[in-house]
Order: sequence, then structure tokens, then C-alpha cells
Amino acid sequence: MLFFRLSILIIPLCIITFFFILLTDDNSYPGADFDTYDMPQFELLDMKTNLITNEESLGDNFILNVWASWCITCLVEHPFLMELQNQNMNIIGLNYKDESADALSWIEKYGNPYNKIIQDYKGSLAMDLGVTGAPETFLVQNGKIVVRFQGEINSDIWRDVFVPLISSNNNLN
Amino acid sequence: MIIEVAHFLLILCTGLFLMSCCFSLLNKNESYTHILVSRTYSHACLFLFVSFAIFIWLSISDNFNVMYIASHSNSNLPIFYKITSIWSAHEGSMYLWIVFLALWGFIFNLYEFSFKAFKSISISIISFVLVGFLTFLLLTSNPYETILPIAPINGADINPVLQDPALAIHPPTLYLGYVGFVIPFACALAFLIIGDPTIKWEAIIKKWAFAAWVFLTVGITLGSWWAYYELGWGGYWFWDPVENVALMPWLAATAFIHSIHVSIKTSKLRVWSILLSILVFSLSLFGAFIVRSGIIDSVHSFANDPQRGLYLLAFIAVIISISLFVFSYRFSIFSSKKSIESLSKESFISLNNIIFGSLIFSVMLGVIYPLVYEYLFNQKISVGAPYYNAIFIPIVILASIFLFFSIESRWQRTLKFINKKLYILISLTFAILLTFAVSFMFNTNNLYILASIFSGLLIILRYFLVLFDTVFFKSFVNPFSVLAHLGLGLLLISISFNSLLSTERALSIKLGEFETYKNYKISFDDIQVLKNSNHDAIKGSFTFEDLDGSSFKLNPEKRRYFTRGQITTETAIHITPIKDIYITIGDQLDDKSWVVNIQINYFIRYIWISAILMSLSGILLLFNAQKEKF
Repeated sequence: MLFFRLSILIIPLCIITFFFILLTDDNSYPGADFDTYDMPQFELLDMKTNLITNEESLGDNFILNVWASWCITCLVEHPFLMELQNQNMNIIGLNYKDESADALSWIEKYGNPYNKIIQDYKGSLAMDLGVTGAPETFLVQNGKIVVRFQGEINSDIWRDVFVPLISSNNNLN
Repeated sequence: MIIEVAHFLLILCTGLFLMSCCFSLLNKNESYTHILVSRTYSHACLFLFVSFAIFIWLSISDNFNVMYIASHSNSNLPIFYKITSIWSAHEGSMYLWIVFLALWGFIFNLYEFSFKAFKSISISIISFVLVGFLTFLLLTSNPYETILPIAPINGADINPVLQDPALAIHPPTLYLGYVGFVIPFACALAFLIIGDPTIKWEAIIKKWAFAAWVFLTVGITLGSWWAYYELGWGGYWFWDPVENVALMPWLAATAFIHSIHVSIKTSKLRVWSILLSILVFSLSLFGAFIVRSGIIDSVHSFANDPQRGLYLLAFIAVIISISLFVFSYRFSIFSSKKSIESLSKESFISLNNIIFGSLIFSVMLGVIYPLVYEYLFNQKISVGAPYYNAIFIPIVILASIFLFFSIESRWQRTLKFINKKLYILISLTFAILLTFAVSFMFNTNNLYILASIFSGLLIILRYFLVLFDTVFFKSFVNPFSVLAHLGLGLLLISISFNSLLSTERALSIKLGEFETYKNYKISFDDIQVLKNSNHDAIKGSFTFEDLDGSSFKLNPEKRRYFTRGQITTETAIHITPIKDIYITIGDQLDDKSWVVNIQINYFIRYIWISAILMSLSGILLLFNAQKEKF
């Protein structure tokens, strides 16, 4: 009888178990995606209209940050990218669906955290990467994307999502 | 040194709460046990309050040795914001949450009850909850963590969105509401543990439940109003996951205060009341978990740390399991053998319990389903307004119709509609006529909106007739119920008119030129760049001219704060009795024109007014209950 009455516990315990699984899962950051796949092939221009292709110009290890001058959240995460730049991280900017004049004046106004900036006016590379909006940040190691992060990155996310991967493969600089 | 003293006091009070909890395990019938539990609890509270007072002092005196104060306050802030910055982030707000929890218990502890063991067990249950949360605070989110040896010269500043007077009142009110339900919860559990059906626990906690309900209602309303004018969201409710986790305890609490009414008057629905008291508090804890675990992205989310989430989840699991276990072990003692008379007041209220239960279940489903779906299929889906509208509107209309027929029902007696036939007919006829009038006047055949207006009118008209009856025939009426349900009627009508009439449009407009929108000629007179102490701002100046020549000016702003680079929009709102004209300024386009967003929101103030009416009925009831002795 008591056992039957305890069935009242089923729904709350199911909910609690589900949240337990969710929290102990590696993907507890909603924006993080840890699938590994190849960096797509591309040929695009940088801000000074030099041709950039993936193998020759970028190297094997870098952080790819999708941004645009129209994107407010990009401005919010910008100080953190500047901080990463000061730590000599190799950050490549992917300027997404943006006018180059706007992008340049944005960089001039707020500072440039990027070693190179790829112009992707039509969003073709972003399409291959599966970008849904700005900002997004990819960590590329040995030519492979190892983590994709949708949304603003900050020191907490950097510490929990990116640093473990970087320290396990310490050749990002 | 003073930081360590405060930290030590916090640890000390945790230990004392643990002792107060354990003391009740001593011989239950000895009077010294009750005194021991009660006094240990009071002293623990004293240490906790002193420790919190020191924390406030540290914040006022800019002690940036404390990491929390260094990262959320700034010496340039006025004292007001130095104090409010305490609850602007996770550690401090958790601290405040705990202080309020202890405060409710402290006040409860001041009262004397004839049944001593009942009080001491309740107090020790509150102590148990406090021990859990204090351990959480000390182990995973210590507010007294220091930066040593050298403190930063200045703090990192409060989040600019929170630099608003509403911060001083929205979170504290909401927290008081959430944690206030610890009293009904603890009393219900103590009642179950003692297992004596003669204890009238519902009557004891009635005041406490109403007080907590008032705080919760006011807190949610303030949040809705704040989002409207400060965050620039332009509406009153967004079905944001964190709004939903505040709505669920509110729904459960509303069902609860109806249900205890029956239990007090007729000793029926006692099992419902006990279960609902457990549900309300569990849902409050669930809200704390959702906000603080970072599982859901929302404006309210605090820094993401799975460790915190796990701890809270484990503690909530312990509380829910213990209370439901005790409940299922004991509840048969209190289940009433008498059956409920059909069409009596208690029958309508038990229907109301079922209706609120299904609303809570639907909201819960809306919160959890996207998470389950994302976990299983790795795809994000969002459950938004269409889902909630589809569920809420029919159920709320159904509830309103039951309410309409339940008015003037009596305890333990079948309602005879025949006596009140005239009133029912009058209000039905007028409600139908007015609904048709609205339908023709605004040329709408949206069934949801018309049905909501109809049920709102039904309630309001029927209660006006009740008042008429009271004034002229001196029949009995419960004034608090009338006021609260008039609030509900007004809420239904104002929400319907708001969604029927409100319009919104983004315009691009150049400096010195004008656009027309909905009878308004909007000219863009000026734009200024302002430099303030902690932010840059662009301030637009717009003149709205009505067809009849009357005009007013609105100055929306967009700000960029220096310390964090955060951008905020400052809306400008022109308020008239029936509508708000609401403008926010966006980006500048290539052709030098500016994007502005204009909304005309009808009856939005009445939505908050109706919530105020509901809270007011609770406040009046409390004042009235204060006069009665028990």
C-alpha cells in the first residue's frame, strides 16, 4: 500500500533525474557543440583584399570568431577577445554579412583583436560552417574544428569549454 | 579582519541551525526541548542577521578586499546602488534569499501556539532547509571570498541594466514571496509528522500563506513592469523560462490559498492543502535551481556553474523525497470521510484546484520539454507564446465560467440557482451584448479574444450585482474575494484589449524629417551625443503630433557603459489613461536615417492595476486577520 502511495514521487524524481543527467553531461553549456569536423575549404579576401585560403594563410591551429559590426553581442564579447589577443592567442575574425567600410570603422573605433580578418559578405564560408548568427566562436586544431560555441564567450566559458581542449593539445600559439 | 568575523558568524549560524534541527529529535513532549529549539533558532538568526549587516556595511564602505563587492560594486556608485548591488549577482542574492528565509522563521518563532511540539518541529524543519542552503552558500558560492593581499583600487561596477530603482524592490519582494512559503511547508510537514488531525494547521498558516502570496504577486508584477520600461522589451509577459518558474509557484500558491479556505471552514480538502503546500515550496526551490544552475539562458540567469546546479538539485531532491514520503505515509489519517456536496462552495474550489494543477503541469511541460528535446535530438526548439496561449486561454475561460456560477455558493450546501436566476440572466445578457458590441466596434472575430472579454465581463458584472445585493439587501459578502476576483476580471479584459488593439512598427526616419503612424505625425527634431560619468549616450528628441493638434515630446536614449561595454536602451513612454506610446531608438542606417521602434500599447497599465487589486485584497485580508485573535 505504501509502495502504491509512493507513486506520487514518480514525476518529481523523473524531473530531478533528467536534470541530473543534463548537469553531469559534458554539454552542459547550451551553446557548446563538441563534434569534430574538418575546417571547410574556402577562398575569400581579407580586409586588404588579399586572397585567403584555409591551408596556406591560416595555419592549423587558431580560434575563428564570427562577428559583424551590426552585432551588439559581438561588441559585448569584444573586450574579452582583446584580452585573449594580449595572451597571444591566434584569433581569426570572420566578418559575417557586413560592409567592409563598417567593419573597418568598427575595428578602428574599438580595437582589433584579430590577426587576420576574413571577409564573408555573402556568408558562404559561414554557411559551410553552419553559422546561424553572430557571434560564434570555433576552436580549430590541426585543421579540424574541435568545438563550436554559439553566442557570447566570456572568461567562464573560455575556462570551462576552450581551455581544457587547448591544454590537452598545447600548440595554439 | 571584519570580513573574517562576518564569515565566521555565517559558519557559526549554520552550526546553530543544525543544532536547532537536531534538538527536536530529543524527547518531543518535554517542554525544555521546545524552548531549546526555539531559542537556538533565534540566536542562529541573530548571528545570520549580524553577518548580513556587516556584508551591507562592507559594500557601503567600498571594501574591495571582498571579491564579490569588487566585481559588482564601484566606489562611484551612490550608496543606494552600493546596497542594491548586493543582490545583483548570484552569491549576494542567494545570501539575501537565505536571510529572508530565516527572517520568516524568526517572526514565526515569536508567536506562541497551544500545541508546543507542532511549533518546535516546524522550526526545526525550517532550520533544516536553512542548513542546506547555508552549506550551499558557504561551499559553492561564498560571498566572503577575498582578494588578498592587495585589493583592487576600484570595483568592476554593477551591471548597467540593474542600475535602476526597481532593483531595490523587485528581487527582494519576489524572494520574500518565494521563501515565505517555507512556513506553510514546514507546518504541513510538522502536522504530518505529529499525525494529530485535531491540529488546525491551516488556520495557523493562513496569514503566513496570504502574506507570502501578496509578496509573490507584487514581485512578479514589479518584474513585468520593469521589463516593460527598463529592458525595452515592450510588453508585459514573455513566457521567458524564468518568468515561468515564478509563475508556477504563484499558480500553486493561488490554488493553495483557496484550498486552505475550504480546509479551515469544513475540514475537507485537507489532503489537497497539504500536497499544495509541499508543491508551492518545491516549485519555489525549483525556480532557484533553474536560475542558478545556468541550465536555461535568460536575462535572469546567473553565472554558469554545474557544481552549484548539482548541489541544489541534490538538496531539492532530498526535501521533495522526504516530504512526499511522509505525505504518502500519513495522508490517509486526514482524508475526510464525508463526501463533498455537489455545487457547494468546496466543490467549486476543488474544481479550481484541478484547474490550477493542470495549468502548473502545462507550464512545467513548456519549461522542460525544450530541454528534453534538445538533449535527445540535439536540436533547439523554443516553446513560446502560441503554446501557452493555446493552453491557458481555454482553461482560464473555463475557470472563469465556473467562478461565475460559483458566486454565492455556500459551504456544504447545494447551490440553488433558482434564487439568483435574475442576477445570472442580467449579467449573462449584458456580457453577451457587450462582447458583440466589441466585436462590431473593433471588427474582430478572434474567438480567443472575444471569449476572454466575455468571461472577464461575466465576472465583473456578476460581482457588481453581488455588491448591489450587499448594499441594498444586506446580504453577506466576502469583500476580499470580491476585490481579488474583480482584479481577475479586469486582468482578462485588459489582456484581451491589449492584444487586440496594440500595434508596433519600426520606422526609419532622418533627422529633421517626419513620418506618420496611426494618427501621429512623428518628427525627429534632434539627436545629441551625451557624455556622462559612466556611459556615453545618444539621445533622440521626437515630437508626436496628434490629429487634433495636441503634441508631446519623447526622448529615447541608447547608452554604452564604459566598464563593460554593455549597450542598453532607455525607452521613452507617453502615458495616457487608455494607451502608452512607447518609443525606442535603434541603429543608424547607411542613408543617415535612424531606426526607431514605436509601439502603441493599449490598456497595459490596467494589467498591472488588476494585479495590484489582487494583492490589495490579500493585504486587506491580512489587516483584517490581524484584528481577529487566534
